[in-house]
Amino acid sequence: MIIDKKIQFLIRCAAVVAISLLYFFIDARETQLFPKCPFHSLTGLFCPGCGSQRAISALLHFDLISAMRFNVLLVASLPMIGYSVYASIMNTFTTKVVQQRLFHSVTFIWILAVVVMLFWVLRNVHVYPFDLLAPHH
Amino acid sequence: MEQNYQQQPMLTPPKNWLVESILVTLFCCLPFGVVGIVYATQVSSKFNAGDQAGALQASRDAAKWTKIGFFVGLAVLVLYIIAIFAFGVTAFWANKDAMNDYR
Repeated sequence: MIIDKKIQFLIRCAAVVAISLLYFFIDARETQLFPKCPFHSLTGLFCPGCGSQRAISALLHFDLISAMRFNVLLVASLPMIGYSVYASIMNTFTTKVVQQRLFHSVTFIWILAVVVMLFWVLRNVHVYPFDLLAPHH
Repeated sequence: MEQNYQQQPMLTPPKNWLVESILVTLFCCLPFGVVGIVYATQVSSKFNAGDQAGALQASRDAAKWTKIGFFVGLAVLVLYIIAIFAFGVTAFWANKDAMNDYR
């Protein structure tokens, strides 16, 4: 099945908008409606994504501090996500080609991988200041 | 399409799925995203070493694990929503205070 790149991009945009509306009007910080992390339910430990639903609700209400309390890595990755979105807009709708060289740098990817793994371990250490990395209000 | 890739030398590395695998790691909260990140490193390092076939294979593996993570995450969300409607929203709200747990 071949769908035009532009239409594919617009479908993704529509999905992002729909999910944003859901997490804006139903604040994940105040409801039990959304699914809990399966990893956390099984092990009791926090994974790198724990708290991201509440962080998204916080971000959609422009509460950056609250979002950082729930998942600081998600907030820190926003510039990277923004750059990626910019690149895909340019590559889809214009003739300009954005190559995203940074994302193909082996050093950069390894640093990212190590940061994610460290974040995973450290947010489960119940000692100050690492406990600040665990999702909290 | 893959034929074309293999016949002529590639000027740019194949898609390494880095951002997608980071997103899966942070949003779907599944370890599959981490596997995707590891393959992303291989795409770029193999391409830089001149191993184009290896880079393409790593690209396909990165795509595979990132998509598995994404669709498993999506399936959990959809099943969860179906479960809520099947068992009734009231049962969830009744337990609201008791279920003061992480999600």
